[in-house]
Amino acid sequence: MREQKWLRPARIIISILFLAGFCLIFSDVKAKLPSGITLFFTSFQFLPSVLKFPHQPGIIASGFFLIILLTVFSGRVYCSTFCPMGILMDVLGFIKRKLPIRKKRRKFMKPLNFLRYIILSMSVLSLFITGMFAISWLDPYANFGRIASNLYQPVFIFLNNVVSKLLIHFNVYSIQPFTFNVFHPLPFFAALTILFTVIAMVIFRDRLYCNTICPVGAILGLISKASLLKIKIDNSSCTQCGKCQTSCKANCINIKEMRIDETRCISCFNCIQVCEESSIGYKKSWGIKHETMNNTDIRKRDFIKAGILFMGINPLLAKAEEHHNEDEHDRKKFCTRGPISPPGSRSIRHLKNNCIACQLCVSVCPSHVLQPAFLEYGFTGMMMPRLDNQAGFCNYDCTKCGEVCPTGAIFPLTKEAKKTTQVGMVQFRQHLCIVESEGTACGSCSEHCPTQAVYMVPYKDDLTIPEVNPDICVGCGACEHACPVTDPHAAIFVYPHEQHQTALKPETEKVNVESTEEFPF
Amino acid sequence: MKRREFIRRSVAASIASGALFSMGKWNTVLASGTDHSLPFDLVAVKNGTPEEMFDAGIAALGGMKTFVKPNQTVVVKPNIGWDASPERAANTNPGLVGQIIKHCLDAGAKRVMVFDKTCDEWTRCYKNSGIEKAVKDNGGQIVTGAIEAHYQHVDIPKGISLKENKVHELILESDVFINVPVLKNHGGAQMSLTMKNLMGVVWNRRYYHANNLHQCIADFATFKKPDLNVVDGYRVLKRNGPRGVSVNDVAIMKYQILSTDMVAADTAATKVFGIETDRVKHIGLAEKLGVGTTDLDSLNIKRITI
Repeated sequence: MREQKWLRPARIIISILFLAGFCLIFSDVKAKLPSGITLFFTSFQFLPSVLKFPHQPGIIASGFFLIILLTVFSGRVYCSTFCPMGILMDVLGFIKRKLPIRKKRRKFMKPLNFLRYIILSMSVLSLFITGMFAISWLDPYANFGRIASNLYQPVFIFLNNVVSKLLIHFNVYSIQPFTFNVFHPLPFFAALTILFTVIAMVIFRDRLYCNTICPVGAILGLISKASLLKIKIDNSSCTQCGKCQTSCKANCINIKEMRIDETRCISCFNCIQVCEESSIGYKKSWGIKHETMNNTDIRKRDFIKAGILFMGINPLLAKAEEHHNEDEHDRKKFCTRGPISPPGSRSIRHLKNNCIACQLCVSVCPSHVLQPAFLEYGFTGMMMPRLDNQAGFCNYDCTKCGEVCPTGAIFPLTKEAKKTTQVGMVQFRQHLCIVESEGTACGSCSEHCPTQAVYMVPYKDDLTIPEVNPDICVGCGACEHACPVTDPHAAIFVYPHEQHQTALKPETEKVNVESTEEFPF
Repeated sequence: MKRREFIRRSVAASIASGALFSMGKWNTVLASGTDHSLPFDLVAVKNGTPEEMFDAGIAALGGMKTFVKPNQTVVVKPNIGWDASPERAANTNPGLVGQIIKHCLDAGAKRVMVFDKTCDEWTRCYKNSGIEKAVKDNGGQIVTGAIEAHYQHVDIPKGISLKENKVHELILESDVFINVPVLKNHGGAQMSLTMKNLMGVVWNRRYYHANNLHQCIADFATFKKPDLNVVDGYRVLKRNGPRGVSVNDVAIMKYQILSTDMVAADTAATKVFGIETDRVKHIGLAEKLGVGTTDLDSLNIKRITI
């Protein structure tokens, strides 16, 4: 199987490109990158694309189907080549091998199947109880996103600003510095915990996470039982030197019995590369009798069951929470208001049922209005995006978050649709307004209002005071962000809609100006 | 040892000389105080493109070389506050900004820098206003106004409500400061003109709104007098300002006003717009603080129709 030696270098090149791509999309602080590029990298992610498919069926959301096809064809290629967490672990493993520390020789390990399938079935079951919460903490892409957003992006901005500062010193302004996003302890420490856990697992056993905890790995492992091509050892030429076994990151090669556990094999092709006899490599698996057939049947059946549950989950969940958003309307107080969900998410319910809190939208929001929630959406909505009008306000013409959302939790909106999407409604408290309380001019809110849902009307002594027309308000939060009043809270603020509404379009007639021939002075 | 000593000394010397040059204050000290003895106090131009009107207006003032000496650094401060296209007239006309840069470089300017502290997200404002492109195409440099570290604390000794704030270092360090507002309606301040445009060079704008907006605008006008003010009245946002809702709010008026006196320029601009000057409180307040005069009859005005 000498002709298969190219597989490993090819896998390394593609995986490095993918990791670079993920770094790129999480470095897009000012939303300059075409959304197609961002979608390209995220569409090959399993869980996001499974979630997206029911809402936006199409080629972009068919990534999971491609991954399944690829797995049916040649095993868990996804885990080594396209999964950003898997690639990150390979990078960590590479660093580990370069460090001058004592390393244990890799050897065959028994699979921790009990734990693995318990976690898989628990995470599927948890969909009914916690929504996306539990599974989003196990999913490799979501966890990678949190690391990228909270740990990688600040480093990128810091380096960018250092370079920018150096250049500005020489009066070159070609690289502009960026401001850091707001620091939130919860996502930061969550990301740090995830990273350290991953590092610890890599140190202990390279791909322990992928073969024990990762639900995507477990599902693909079950599918790979039926792969057309499987990595196998050629009994006639193998000298049982054990090199393949020590090169195996998944500890799945049993050289004594010359067997490979294909459910754990992540198709990294290390073994193919190291085998001097070229006696390990892909072989077609049809027409050969499996020794472990009886086990598989049960697992396959479980998998199918899980798959049905998984695919049917969204409509079911949608029904579950439908009826508790009506009776809260008179508690319109600033402090008791809930979170504002991003435009395109349609409702808080839809967001909570589909968001895996990967932080991509938060990372690319150019005005920093999207911030990870703490407990605003409840415990199970932790770190999901919310509009934080203190951090910024939603740009009227910007549609970035919906364009990049990999799971369909935030639908993509056209500019026109965005301009009539009402995520909340303006509330004005005149007694708190500077114009009334201080008797001085302000108008900061109206100044920032893109639709003039907040407009200035004559008040005493040539002053003007805000008045609101909530019908054309989109709830962008610009007025609230700009309001100089802070005590006890902004004099104008957005009260969120649990279910987004449609705003009326601002209508104006063409202004008339009589042109004069003479200068007016 | 000797070599090491040499390296150490040369590094120290280069740092010291670099620091000296980068202070920039030296240039300001040497250049300031040159009272431009101008042929006119105010030039008003109408009926041309922004570029034509500027060409005619600056020529009437003796050309850009009156304001910019060879090897000086220039900062141009247009209004780039909003994520809106040039047709919406929420921002200064990009053609005008480009033309000003061209004149500065022709007069021998070493560098021309352009920035604004925007209200909407800055990269979108710079791009969609067309100003970033106009600046780059004409050889200027566009700089962000969104980084707090670029703003330095200053005292405003003559200020009544505004005693201190942080001001962008380009305003403090550049040799020449050209203020290029767009003439437009403003919900809170009635009008946005030369003095209102200077809110885009300070960091803490919220303070203005919370502490008598008009007085703060007038106070800041005592701090720094632009070397030249160019009011862009080509497209004028007649209502719903300063942002505007659509092109329906815009009238094409084809005016331009050039002056070194902000109060005079703003007074003339209110007359072009058709609002009583008294209603824009900060103009009168600035006159009281000695920033300039609202008495246009006392000024030597050049009127040009293209």
